[in-house]
Amino acid sequence: MGADPNRISKWLAEFVAKPLGIAVFFVFLALLWTFPLQHVIAYPFVFLFFGAIMCSAWFGGYIAGSMAVVLSSIVVTFFFVPPFYSMTIAREFRSYVAAFVLCAMAIAAVSSSRRRSESAVRAARDQLEIRVQQRTAELERSNLEITERERQLRLLTEAIPQQIWRTDANGAVEYCNGNLVEYVGMDTHDLRGEVLFSFLHPEDATQFYQNWDAARIVNGKFEVQARVRGVNGSYRWFLIRSNPQLGANREVACWYGVHIDIEDQRQAQQKLLVAQDDLARLSRTLSMAEMAASIAHEINQPLTALVSDAHACRRWLNGQPANVERAVASSERIVRESTRASEVVSRIRSLFNKTDHVRESTNLNYLIQDLARLLRDEALRHDVSIKLRLSENVPSLMLDPVQIRQVLLNLAMNGMEAMTTTTGIRELEISSEILRSKEVVVTVRDHGIGLAEQVKAKMFDPFFSTKPQGTGMGLAICRSIIEAHDGQIWADALECGAAFHFSLGVNA
Amino acid sequence: MSVETSDPTPKQTVFIVDDDPSVCEALCDLIQSAGLTTQQYSSAEGFLDAWTPDMAGCLVLDVRLPGRSGMELQGELAEAGLPIPIIIMTAHGDIPMVRKAMKAGAVEFLTKPFQDEELLQAIEQAFAMDRARRTAKTLEDSILSRLAILSPRERQVMELVTAGMTNKEIADSLDLRLVTVKLYRGQVMEKMKAQSLADLVKMSERIKAP
Repeated sequence: MGADPNRISKWLAEFVAKPLGIAVFFVFLALLWTFPLQHVIAYPFVFLFFGAIMCSAWFGGYIAGSMAVVLSSIVVTFFFVPPFYSMTIAREFRSYVAAFVLCAMAIAAVSSSRRRSESAVRAARDQLEIRVQQRTAELERSNLEITERERQLRLLTEAIPQQIWRTDANGAVEYCNGNLVEYVGMDTHDLRGEVLFSFLHPEDATQFYQNWDAARIVNGKFEVQARVRGVNGSYRWFLIRSNPQLGANREVACWYGVHIDIEDQRQAQQKLLVAQDDLARLSRTLSMAEMAASIAHEINQPLTALVSDAHACRRWLNGQPANVERAVASSERIVRESTRASEVVSRIRSLFNKTDHVRESTNLNYLIQDLARLLRDEALRHDVSIKLRLSENVPSLMLDPVQIRQVLLNLAMNGMEAMTTTTGIRELEISSEILRSKEVVVTVRDHGIGLAEQVKAKMFDPFFSTKPQGTGMGLAICRSIIEAHDGQIWADALECGAAFHFSLGVNA
Repeated sequence: MSVETSDPTPKQTVFIVDDDPSVCEALCDLIQSAGLTTQQYSSAEGFLDAWTPDMAGCLVLDVRLPGRSGMELQGELAEAGLPIPIIIMTAHGDIPMVRKAMKAGAVEFLTKPFQDEELLQAIEQAFAMDRARRTAKTLEDSILSRLAILSPRERQVMELVTAGMTNKEIADSLDLRLVTVKLYRGQVMEKMKAQSLADLVKMSERIKAP
């Protein structure tokens, strides 16, 4: 081992100088106090040295305690054991000194070991303290982080330009973001526990609950377009999307939802629909006009020839002299042209009579339900609600579904249009029923302007219309379709509105 | 009916253009029953191929034709300066179409089917227009041919005379003697076959007018 002077001196200071100093200090203190006190007590007085040893062992450790034992033994032997001021011990005091030394050693041992365990405890406590402090600091830091993250998240939900909510499994509101609060005009506190969906338009609520219930069965997400009431009482269209959060047992713990404002899109869509509708009507009118021109030309050609031939025939006969030969030729052409004219007419008729019959087994109720779904937007546009009252025992009929749908569509559109200017009940009822198990009667009933007698008399005629842009073909086509199905179509003027019926035979 | 061709203009014919052979035939028959000659064509192109300026008469034209329409044919004839009176027929005449046809110089617009009198009156009117135009044309041609035989000096004198100058003024402006002017003037009157000064002025007006 290389002798490092520094380490040696350190070692010396730690294990020799410091314990020795402590031992000397306490033994000297005990010695100073023992001199005056021995005059009070007759027997050699040594108890203070035990104190000195105890203190040395306590403060200086085992080494200092041992040194104090040695020092105390020397001092006691020298000063207080006869013969005094010598290191010799009188015979009768030998056992006394031995007892003293033993006691001193025991005290030093006990004291120093007590001290050691005390220090160990203290060190452990100190370490614990440090640990606790560290942990506390860590905890505080992570708490801060969590708070910050939560703040960021909240900022995000507030900053998103949509309305966000969270409800419990039953739809009671637990959280709403600022946009939603602002839109419905109730603060979060008031909203809490409220069923958010009470803000939905009653007509859309049914659809909403249907979709939600379906989503609850499979614990899946759902989506619906519905109107939501704003703070000023007016409704706007929203796309509502919601996802469930599942708990440990795969049950729904809460629903997260977002409302996306689609009012503008809806309005644009409506405008587009109106434009398309106008366009379709216009093109229908235009093609009607074109067809009329073409028919007029087709018929006018033979008519022109006929009239001219007839005039010519008359003129040949009236001539002086009468030219019978030419008159006969003219009259023969009259016969030929008449035949041709009637051929033109029957050709035009055949244009409108489609000869290919389609007959499929079709459930009228499905057809009506299908139509009601198709007309949902149209009904909204007319602010009309469509009510279905369908008899369950309507059998399937053999019919052309496309044509019958066209009849239903025509009647429903007429009904809705009849209610555009009226202010009463805005409801269109479509019902089906079976009569004497022989025929099915479908009724389309409106609460519109009703039917005047002169309208009722002519409304199934072609080219008869009460609408400024109507072609006058709608009901005429309806009648020809129903008659082609061996059915009947008729209308009743009611006290308020009108009812159009058509019947189709069960065996047709 | 007095659509008689008593004057020396060529015999007038009614040209019928309709794609429907029955209509064509019937119209021919009707027009022939009034003592007129007819020719029929089934398309605008067919008529244009056969056309020469000395074909006198009028055109009875259907609007709806295969290829070039009746209105297009009318426009083309007007553009080519072939002045033949036109009667338009249609099965479905709307107001803008009638207005357009009449503006382009049609004599009459008939909506099919029409009565015999309507057609024959329109033809009579068209023939009268055609005749008047041809007479005017013949007159102009003869004046121009007479004008062609005048010497340059005679033509100068004629211009100044018809401009209203006296013999004295003419002599001064052309630097001639009065006797010479009188001589030229007499020759002009003779060559132009003018009865009077008024007659000569009328002739000069007619050929000057476009």
